[in-house]
Amino acid sequence: MSTAVITGTSRGLGRALAERLLAEGWSVHGFSRSVGELTHPRFTAHAVDISDEGAVRAAVDQICDPIDLLVNNAGSASLNALLLTPGSVAASLMRVNYLGAFHCLQSVGKAMVRQRRGLVINITTVAVPLSLEGEAAYVASKAALDALTKVAAAELAPQGVRVIGLGFGPLSTDLTRAVPALKLAELDARLGRPQGTSLSQAVDFIMHHLPAASSASGSIAYLARL
Amino acid sequence: MLTRPQALALVLRRLALLGRELGKPLLEQANEETRLFGEAAALDSIGLVTLMADLEEDVRLASGVSVQLADEKAMSRLTSPFRRVGLLADHLIDVVEKSTPPA
Repeated sequence: MSTAVITGTSRGLGRALAERLLAEGWSVHGFSRSVGELTHPRFTAHAVDISDEGAVRAAVDQICDPIDLLVNNAGSASLNALLLTPGSVAASLMRVNYLGAFHCLQSVGKAMVRQRRGLVINITTVAVPLSLEGEAAYVASKAALDALTKVAAAELAPQGVRVIGLGFGPLSTDLTRAVPALKLAELDARLGRPQGTSLSQAVDFIMHHLPAASSASGSIAYLARL
Repeated sequence: MLTRPQALALVLRRLALLGRELGKPLLEQANEETRLFGEAAALDSIGLVTLMADLEEDVRLASGVSVQLADEKAMSRLTSPFRRVGLLADHLIDVVEKSTPPA
C-alpha cells in the first residue's frame, strides 16, 4: 500500500485527487487549514497551516508510514492589476503558494531522503509561462514554486527523490469562482481546451505522471497547448 | 536528553551505514576527529544532507525530540558544527537540549 500527503484536501483538486488515490488503494494524509468533509478509513485529515514551519513538521512527524508521494496542491489566487495589488496580498500569496510548499517539501523531503525514494508533485499554473496580465502577484508566487521544483529536483535526485511540476489552466474550483466567465472562456480557447479542464481531467493528468517513466525529475508539464 | 557517548555513537553508527551505502570505507572507520565537510572531508554536500536527514530521525527515535540540525545559527557559525564528528556530536546534544520542553 502506498501513502500520499496532499495539501489543500478540504475541497477542489486536492479533494478530488485524494478521493481518486483512496479509490485506488492508497492511504492519504490531507493537510488543510480546515479539516473538510472527506472521510475514509485510509484518509487522515491534519488541520495544519502550511505557512507555519513548525506545524508542518509536527504533522509530518505524526505520519509513521513511508511517504511515497507529496502533492503540493494548496494554493491561493488573487486577480488584480499589478499597481492595484496591496503588498499584503502579494505577501499572502507568496506565503501559501511558495513558502507553504517549501515547508512541506522540506519536511516530507527529509523523510523521502531517509527512504531514498519518493515523488513530489508541485501544482503550478499555465499563468507562469503565459505571463498572464492581471495576475502578477499570483504568477510570481507560482514562478517561485517552479524554480523551487527545478532546484529541489537537482538536489534530491541523488537520493532517489523525484520532483516535478504539473500545471493547469483554469479549473472549476473556488480559486476561479470570482473570474468572469468570458475571461475564462478566452483563456481556455487560448490553451486549446475550449471546453475547459474538469477536475477529473486534472486528476487523470496527475495520475499519468506518477510512474517514474512518465516524466523526468525537474520537468514541468502542462495540461494545455502553450 | 542525550549523553555525549550516545550522541557520538549515533553519529558513528550513521556514518558507518552511509559509508557502506556510498562505498566509502573511510566513513566506517570514522572517529571524533574525522573531517565531515570542507576541504579533504569525507562527505560531499549531498552526503552531508543525507547524513543530517538520517540523523534527525535517529535523534528523534533516541530522545523522543523532533529536531532540526541545520538551523540558521548552525549554518552561519564561523566554526560550523558540521566540520568534524566530535563537533557534530556536541551539536546533537545542544539541539536536543534546546528542543526539549521544560519539565
